[in-house]
Amino acid sequence: MDSVLSQIISVTFLVTFIRSVTPLLLTGLGGLFSERSGVVNIALDGLIIFGALAGAVVTQVTEPRLGALAPWLGWVTGALVAGFIAWIHAVLSIRYRADQVISGTAINLLASGVPSVILAALYGTSTESPKVTNPLPLWGMGDLKFSPPVYFAALMVPVAWYVLYRTPYGLRLRATGEQPGAAASMGVNVQRMRYSAVILSGMLAGTAGVFMSVGNLSAYTRNMSAGMGFIALAALIFGQWKPLGVLGATLLFGFLQALSLTLDGRDILPSSLVTVLPYLITILVLVFTGRSAAPGALGKPYGDR
Amino acid sequence: MRGVTHLLDSRPSATASRVALIASALAVLALLLTPLAALGRSFDSSGALLHISGQLLNTGGDLAAPLAQPALLLPLAWATLALFVATIFGAARRERWFWITALLAFLAALAALVVLDRTLADAAANVSHLSLRAGAKRALRNFYGGGGMNMGLFVPLLAGLIAAGAGLSARQVWWERFNRLRGLLVPAAAIALAILVGALIVLVVQPPINSSGHALGLWGGWLSHTDLVYFVYSTLFAPITRLNPLLDSLKLATPLIFTGLSVAFAFRAGLFNIGAPGQLTMGAVAAMLVGVYGPESLGWLLAPLTVIAAGAGGALWGAIPGWLKARFGSSEVINTIMLNYIASGIFIFLIGSNTFPLFGQQRSLPFKAPGDEAQSYELHPGARLPTLLQLLNVGTPDQMKLSLGWLFALAAYLLARLFMRRSGALIPVVLALVVGALTWRVGVAVNIEGSQLNLAFLLALLCAALFGTLMWRTATGYALRAVGLSPKAAEYGGISVAKNTVLAMTLAGMFAGLAGTHYVQGGALDSYRLKGNMPVNVGFDGIAVALMGQSTPLGVVASSALFGTIDTGGVDVSIKMTGLNRDIVTVLKALVVMFIAAGGFLSRRVTDPPAPVLLKAAGATGKAENAPVVPPAQEGAVSASGLPNVARSSEENTREGGK
Repeated sequence: MDSVLSQIISVTFLVTFIRSVTPLLLTGLGGLFSERSGVVNIALDGLIIFGALAGAVVTQVTEPRLGALAPWLGWVTGALVAGFIAWIHAVLSIRYRADQVISGTAINLLASGVPSVILAALYGTSTESPKVTNPLPLWGMGDLKFSPPVYFAALMVPVAWYVLYRTPYGLRLRATGEQPGAAASMGVNVQRMRYSAVILSGMLAGTAGVFMSVGNLSAYTRNMSAGMGFIALAALIFGQWKPLGVLGATLLFGFLQALSLTLDGRDILPSSLVTVLPYLITILVLVFTGRSAAPGALGKPYGDR
Repeated sequence: MRGVTHLLDSRPSATASRVALIASALAVLALLLTPLAALGRSFDSSGALLHISGQLLNTGGDLAAPLAQPALLLPLAWATLALFVATIFGAARRERWFWITALLAFLAALAALVVLDRTLADAAANVSHLSLRAGAKRALRNFYGGGGMNMGLFVPLLAGLIAAGAGLSARQVWWERFNRLRGLLVPAAAIALAILVGALIVLVVQPPINSSGHALGLWGGWLSHTDLVYFVYSTLFAPITRLNPLLDSLKLATPLIFTGLSVAFAFRAGLFNIGAPGQLTMGAVAAMLVGVYGPESLGWLLAPLTVIAAGAGGALWGAIPGWLKARFGSSEVINTIMLNYIASGIFIFLIGSNTFPLFGQQRSLPFKAPGDEAQSYELHPGARLPTLLQLLNVGTPDQMKLSLGWLFALAAYLLARLFMRRSGALIPVVLALVVGALTWRVGVAVNIEGSQLNLAFLLALLCAALFGTLMWRTATGYALRAVGLSPKAAEYGGISVAKNTVLAMTLAGMFAGLAGTHYVQGGALDSYRLKGNMPVNVGFDGIAVALMGQSTPLGVVASSALFGTIDTGGVDVSIKMTGLNRDIVTVLKALVVMFIAAGGFLSRRVTDPPAPVLLKAAGATGKAENAPVVPPAQEGAVSASGLPNVARSSEENTREGGK
């Protein structure tokens, strides 16, 4: 047991920990924007996958010509592609007043089929893309080196807080999610606010995906999100739809994931059960959270048919 | 819009005429711009494409034999074209007669199809007279067999029916008939849109087949592209037309029925069950535990016991999120997803390995069978479910004779229901049982390869019947639906939202868990064990099935059959195509869900028109155009597709139940 403890208080664990937190945090903040505008975004998991796939494929395709610049282009494309897919979710749920959970599920189902069709067309396999030779660079010193999305994620927490609480856009966004009717009567374009928020959430989730494929693993593999989007959604609820709350919740979930990664392969608990821990804790956490702080108009379409 | 619901004159309404016009125009375009038929198709999917102008495009290599010459095909196609042009004129002027020309166009296209198929069959039969090697003969026979109609004949067939229907809708009788089918509009539109988008994907990822060795040019390239789209879809839907693939399709449909019922049941109570994969897993695990470790002395009684275990395992896994929602108000959407991952962890833990580490010690587990593969031991013979072929075979094992008793029984039941409407269900059922028992030994000799379509299929149909009875014939079902439509109103009416939430999730879990019987007891994975490669993702397909079936039992069964068909066809597609794999089917399913979520992009005035009473009231004041389309009270409570609005009602459930 001592060895486990010493393993947890080590630099390696810290690195694993931060790497586990990053995609959760990015996705959670993305979900924050979407849900604060009143649109349930259960599609986050699929958006991660689309971002990861687009990032890996674009990096792989452009790296003979662009070299070290390729992953950055991959990042941008990954974010844009995921933003585009999120736009589809937005169109369905805002313009066509679709049930937002069902529309999000459709995106997730799409994410379980489209990647393998694209991979089969491009590379002839259906499970993973070829490894990229130029992943995103590692910045930092000593053993603490991270790829840029990690810093980006850390930066996004204060940015999200500032945007939400200190800018007119944030005020309108929150009003849109709480009382769309009241916001509209003050001249806020509810639909446009929701579109922007959902697309933003897609771009952040896409960045999380790019971090996983080009930042962490240097390839896209099938089902690489492993339910990350849903855990981020749970973190959003646990964090009571607030930026700092999301940070706290994702730190907890990230810690659990890092713990299960560290315990995996050791002879303390069977690994199949250890990997289940984060999901189990998510359920437990939701029990103690409830939905008291949910945005008032969450999940309700707004406007005329 | 006024014309759709107001039958003031007997001319087809403006909308109906427009539908007929568009359908006929599409048919004309398809006739002129796409291949009419493939006169043959080689093993590499290249074919000899016939255009309406008589032009032949051969995308294959050299042919060993002359092509079949369907003499009447082209004249019939031209006649179809002329009839469609007439229909276009009639529809544009809203004439009363255009349904006749449309119907004639359909019949002409049908005649063309018959001529084509007859000629191809004759050509295939004539092959045996040719002086060729046996292998070449077989190849040639397959070549003719692979031919058939193409886009240029298929679109007119469909468009002729649509235009004729649109023309007929001016008559009161037909209008009422069509009105009853209105519920099919959204799924049909969603499927059509999904097929369109899917076609675009196919065109992007799969280059057209051209093994002729020379470039096809612009026109030839266009023809081969349209042929590619038609070929891919005809391969996907082909399993309906032959017996053995049809049985395979029904085998794949069986778990979809279970999981579709599961999702649909929860939908009806305003809950979104994404946990069918986990519930299926736990059902299968429970079935394995009872089927392998139950007392063998029970004999065949072990089978029903195992079925019950599967249902109970799934029910438990469904009850957990239901209870969590009712007690703590935590979202069933997230909880069911988390429970999927937990179930998969337990599944791997149980049958992935014989030993597991626990605080430094190695403990042993008894469940995994020896060998590399992750699988359990075999079930006792008594716990297995027979295949339907074993069940229906009244001949000898060598020469199968399928019993027709069940057909007679079904016919007797239906006839009895028809002629004795007053007497309830008891007499017809008894009559059907008697007739079935008497005619059981009557059988037809068939030639069927072994199929693992098993008793679980009948169990699934039984579950669908149970779903329908429970939901629409009992007070429990009434309470469940009330909670789904409006939790607040239900609570006010004395219905416990919390209790019904738990009940709905438990039963939904039970349906999904019973899918485990198909895999473990039915031997759907070719052995009677719990196997690691069990495709738990059918749980997610259940969402698509439930949505497409509009959360009705019959709809779930029908859309399961459809999805099972394209699942079977998808395997053929990935074999025949270089750039496509079977996940194109997954994409199609996702697109269907997406378009159904958007109500098929149809106007609510089409999918869910206001009650005639409301229109009459509005019409009396002369304001039919501005009549309120939806009474405000309905808004949000029921979405266009007839589903309870899940996101909204689940939230309200939470607020009510979380107190």
